[in-house]
Amino acid sequence: MAARRALKAVLVDLSGTIHVEDTALPGAQEALKRLRAASLTVRFVTNTTKESKRDLLARLKKLEFDISEDEIFTSMIAARNLLEEKQVRPMLLVHDQALADFKGIQTRDPNAVVIGLAPEHFHYQTLNEAFRLILNGAPLIAIHKSKYYKKIDGLALGPGPFVTALEYATDTEAIVVGKPEKTFFLEALRGTGCEPEEAIMIGDDYKVDVGGAQDVGMLGILVKTGKYRPGDEEKISPPPYLTCESFLHAVDHILQHLL
Amino acid sequence: MAAWGDRLAGVRGVLLDISGVLYDSGEGGGRPIAGSVDAVARLKRSGLKVRFCTNESQKSRGRLVGELRGLGFDVSEAEVTSPPPAARRLLQERGLRPHLLVHDEVRSEFDHIDTSNPNCVLIGDAGDHFSYRNLNRAFQVLMGLADPVLLSLGSGRYYKQSSGLMLDVGCYMKALEYACGIQAEVVGKPSPEFFRSALRELGVEAHQAVMVGDDIVGDVGGAQRCGMRALQVRTGKFRPSDEQHPEVKADGYVDNLAEAVDLLLRHADQ
Repeated sequence: MAARRALKAVLVDLSGTIHVEDTALPGAQEALKRLRAASLTVRFVTNTTKESKRDLLARLKKLEFDISEDEIFTSMIAARNLLEEKQVRPMLLVHDQALADFKGIQTRDPNAVVIGLAPEHFHYQTLNEAFRLILNGAPLIAIHKSKYYKKIDGLALGPGPFVTALEYATDTEAIVVGKPEKTFFLEALRGTGCEPEEAIMIGDDYKVDVGGAQDVGMLGILVKTGKYRPGDEEKISPPPYLTCESFLHAVDHILQHLL
Repeated sequence: MAAWGDRLAGVRGVLLDISGVLYDSGEGGGRPIAGSVDAVARLKRSGLKVRFCTNESQKSRGRLVGELRGLGFDVSEAEVTSPPPAARRLLQERGLRPHLLVHDEVRSEFDHIDTSNPNCVLIGDAGDHFSYRNLNRAFQVLMGLADPVLLSLGSGRYYKQSSGLMLDVGCYMKALEYACGIQAEVVGKPSPEFFRSALRELGVEAHQAVMVGDDIVGDVGGAQRCGMRALQVRTGKFRPSDEQHPEVKADGYVDNLAEAVDLLLRHADQ
C-alpha cells in the first residue's frame, strides 16, 4: 500500500455524526476543539437540501459548536458552484428554505434544472416543465439521488425517483453533485489546499460518507451513531479505515495515531 | 434502402397507432393530423385488414373512439386494442388485486376488479393525477408487499398533445422501479404479448402485418421485435433524431399516415 501523506484535513458529516436534530452528540463540541488545537483544517459536509448554510450555521452555533460559515460545504453549494461554472440559469426544484443558497443566481428564463428534496414541486405540471427544458438541452443537476427517506408516518419518496423519471424521459444522465459523488469531496477539499490522500472523512453513513470518501482516496471513519446499523462496516469494500463508537472516539484515534 | 415494392410485399394487415398518427389529443377533443381521416377511410375501402393499436390509458376506449368519430374518423370500439382490457385479463389470471394509480376516466375499466387489500400496483397514464401524494401512496403499497408487483400500462416516455410534449406513464414506472428496486411488467406496447394479441384480433400473421406509429421505440421497435414490419411517421411525438436512432431502423420513414397509406395501397397485397 502506498505510504500515506501526513493528515492535514478532516471532513465531518453533520446530521447523525456531531448532532441529531437539535441535540449535540455527547462530547462532540469538546472533540471539535481538540481537532482545531491540533492545527488540522476542518470542513463540515452535508447533503441537506432543506436548510441553507445560514440555517445550519445558526443551529450548530446554538449547540455551542465552534464553527464558521466558510467551513460548511453542502451539496447545495456544490450545485451553486456548478451553475456558476456552467453559467446557466436554473429552474430550482428545491425546498424554499434552501433558496437562500442560490441568492444572486439568475433564475428567469431558465436553461438548467436543479432538483433537491422538494416534494412540493414534484407534481405533474412542474415536472413536465422541467422535462421540456431538459429535452431542449438544459442540463439536469441532482443534489443527490436518494430513493426515499423516513418520516414519522412512513417512508417518503426522495428526489432520486423523480430524477430517474426525467433521465428516462429525456434519455440523458443527471449530474449528481452531492455525496457520495467524487466531485463533492474534491469540491469540499478545494480551498483547503489538501489532497484527498491528506484527508479523512468522519460520518455515520457507510456508503455515502465513508464509501464515497474512500473512493476518492481519503480515509474513512464510520461512527456508530445516527443512521448506523450493526454490520454496515461489512457492506463496503474496502471496509472503513476505522469503525468506532462516536465522533469523540474518532477524534481520539486521529490525535493518537494519525498525526 | 430496398424499393417500397419489396419492403411492403405480402402485407395483408395494418396496425395503426392512434395518438400522433391519426390525431393529436388536447383541448376541445384534439386535432386530426392532416390527411389522416381520409387515409383511414381509404385503408378500410381496400382489401387490407385494419386495426387500431394504442397505449391510450388516460381516456376510456368509449371516449377515445367518440372523440375520433367526432373528428370524422371511421373507428369503432371493437377495432381498438388498448391496455386496460389486457390488464384486466392479466389481473384475473394471476389473482392480483391492484392499487390503481390511473386517470379517473380509466378507473371504470376496472369496475369489476377486486381492489381491496391490494397485492400489486397498476399505473396508467394518470396525467395530473401523478401528484407526489398519489405516487407516494403507490410507493408505500409496493414497499409493504413481500412480493411487490408493479404493472404499467405502457412504458412510453412522452406523447404529444396540442399544447406540447407531455410526460408519459413510462417515466413514473421508472420512478417506482428505482424507488423500490423492482422491475415493472408492461401491459401495452412495446410488450410482445400486447402486439401478439393485436395481431390475433387483426387476423393475420406477424410477417403479413405492418405497424404505423410515431414512437420509434414503442411502436416501431416493439412491432419489429415481434416479426412485423413498421413505418415511422414524422408526426406526433416524432423528432428528427429518431431517424438516427442507434438501435431501431424503421422499415420506412414517411411524412404522415396519408403517405404511408399511399405506399401501402400501391405496394401491399390486396
